[in-house]
Amino acid sequence: MLDMQHISKVYRSDLVETHALRDFSLTVHAGEFVAVTGPSGSGKTTFLNVAGLLETFHTGRYLLDGSDVSKLSDDERSRLRNEKIGFIFQGFNLIPDLDIYDNVDVPLRYRRMNRAERHERITSALELVGLASRMHHMPSQLSGGQQQRAAIARALAGDPKFLLADEPTGNLDSLMARQVLDLLEQINEMGTTIIMVTHDLELARRAHRNVHIVDGQISDFRAYEPLPEAVAAAGTIGR
Amino acid sequence: MNLNIRPVFSALLRNRTGAILVAMQIAIALAVLVNAVYIVKQRVDRIGRPTGMDVENIFAISSSGFAQGYDHRATLRDDLAYLRSVPGVVDAVATTSVPLSGGGNGSFLSPRPGGMHSGFTAQQGDGNYFEIDEHGLQTLGVRLIAGRNFRPDEIAPAPLSLAHTEFAPSVIITQAYARYLFPDGNPLGRTVYDYLSRPARIIGIIDHMHGAWPTVDHPDRVYFLPRMAYGPRATYLVRTEPGELNRVMAQVEQHMGTSNSDRVINWVRTLSSFKADTYMSDRNMGTFLVTVTSLLLAIASLGIFGLATFNVNTRTKQIGTRRAVGARRRDIVAYFMVENWLITTAGIVVGCAMALGVGYWLSHQYAMPRLDLYFLVGGVLGLWGLGLLAAWQPARRAATISPAVATRTV
Ligand SMILES: Nc1ncnc2c1ncn2[C@@H]1O[C@H](COP(=O)(O)OP(=O)(O)OP(=O)(O)O)[C@@H](O)[C@H]1O
Ligand SMILES: [Mg+2]
Repeated sequence: MLDMQHISKVYRSDLVETHALRDFSLTVHAGEFVAVTGPSGSGKTTFLNVAGLLETFHTGRYLLDGSDVSKLSDDERSRLRNEKIGFIFQGFNLIPDLDIYDNVDVPLRYRRMNRAERHERITSALELVGLASRMHHMPSQLSGGQQQRAAIARALAGDPKFLLADEPTGNLDSLMARQVLDLLEQINEMGTTIIMVTHDLELARRAHRNVHIVDGQISDFRAYEPLPEAVAAAGTIGR
Repeated sequence: MNLNIRPVFSALLRNRTGAILVAMQIAIALAVLVNAVYIVKQRVDRIGRPTGMDVENIFAISSSGFAQGYDHRATLRDDLAYLRSVPGVVDAVATTSVPLSGGGNGSFLSPRPGGMHSGFTAQQGDGNYFEIDEHGLQTLGVRLIAGRNFRPDEIAPAPLSLAHTEFAPSVIITQAYARYLFPDGNPLGRTVYDYLSRPARIIGIIDHMHGAWPTVDHPDRVYFLPRMAYGPRATYLVRTEPGELNRVMAQVEQHMGTSNSDRVINWVRTLSSFKADTYMSDRNMGTFLVTVTSLLLAIASLGIFGLATFNVNTRTKQIGTRRAVGARRRDIVAYFMVENWLITTAGIVVGCAMALGVGYWLSHQYAMPRLDLYFLVGGVLGLWGLGLLAAWQPARRAATISPAVATRTV
């Protein structure tokens, strides 16, 4: 479970203060698939970065998987990102000088797994995303959709509880976008909680729940689909 | 810390060009560094070799008689009496040339009669002689280890003409020269012959002394003849008590400038300054090599620093992504340190081969001793250290890149 209460995040530059998140509260339950929408500059990426421990916040309380993360050291935040969170980026963010296999290997090496276990996880993650036969290709030798699937394999190989995606289909055409979303749905059904920022309302509609952010605050949320039973049983969804 | 060398290496192989250039810089720097340091070390050792003399406390003063009535023998007698009476003077002697000055008298001694045809004509200037009286050894500060000093009655007066120079009845000789002449057995009391096959007996042996040409192969083949030096030029060596050199020099120069109007003082100089001039080319060579090597090392460091900085700047998104998926700051530092260590090591491997090649060539071409491998080991360690040092700042900077860069740059 991911639980944010009254979070604020301010960017300060010499001239302006930007309140990117204002009194932001959101709870995401285990197993949910949440789509985040909102106009450009509304704070979607900021929310995702705070949720994913890429950035810190100023006030409020954030419990990730039951523990308070506001006072963690940089190293502890790195460890949590490595173990509990998988990231998917709009630009794929594969390392261009490493082949697909080594790219998926990156987070596992930071977890100091032994070679056999890493190999096992890399191959099964690549099989899941359908790239087992391309594991020794370089990223530049793959299509955009394949690169994003490789990035999903990298995010999944560490077996995270949460998958955070910032416009994962933003750089893909609609066919490849749908394939990626199919994959994310499949992963969600296997139990991973997914939070996905998207501009595409059609794709957003396929999530369990839609959170609409305007000006650093949630303005609206609604469920498009019946929630998974586990989530419904856990209680109310809300702010 | 997780060093992850294999993936760093594969990524490096895909970005070879800059790395190869920097590795070549390191290789060249290593080859030059090792050999230059070795050469400088030899030169410094050479300059620092013991001379056998009390160099710091000796000065020389040269005069020339010019007047019609100039009496060389009387001048020597009066000047020496004066010099030996000056407070602070240990002793003084008149001789033919100044040790370590680069100018002196060479002739050879032979253990057999026959002169030029004794079958013992070593190369020209093989032996270097000084004409002294019984005060010579004490003035120079050399140590007699066998036999005896000259007696006053043995000292021949200054020759009136060079044509009538006799050889000497007795000589004092350095240990090194004695061993060369008589490799088997005690040289003391043995007879040596000059180039005209005239005999002399070895009456004393001194421990060690560098003659007039300290940079030749055997600067310590020196012998002394018991004779006052030929005129009208007179060269005096004066040894003072420690700390008295400058004062005595000034006093002597002033006195001797006016004490005898039949001659002029040519110059007054310390023995140290002669030594410094003689070794000037060694010191210049050392300075030159140190400068060139420092420049090469600076360029190699800048190369490493520049490449690391470039790599950090062009990989901000990658660094942010690595941080996002779990790299700690020190993992990022480690990445760049390992990358630069690999480049440095590649350069060092090539540089070792080059250093040995250059060392071999130098030893062949210039008959220098072969490169001492300790210097290679030192150079390798030094360049490793330098490489890590030069990459440190960019690596630290890479670690400060925020993980948020992963989502903020497309
Ligand atoms: N590093 C930063 N420094 C200053 N202001 C920032 C920074 N990052 C984001 N902002 C500002 O914070 C606000 C929220 O930005 P954010 O990136 O979260 O928006 P977004 O909803 O993701 O927009 P988009 O749909 O264009 O990606 C914006 O006004 C943005 O300009
Ligand atoms: Mg955004």
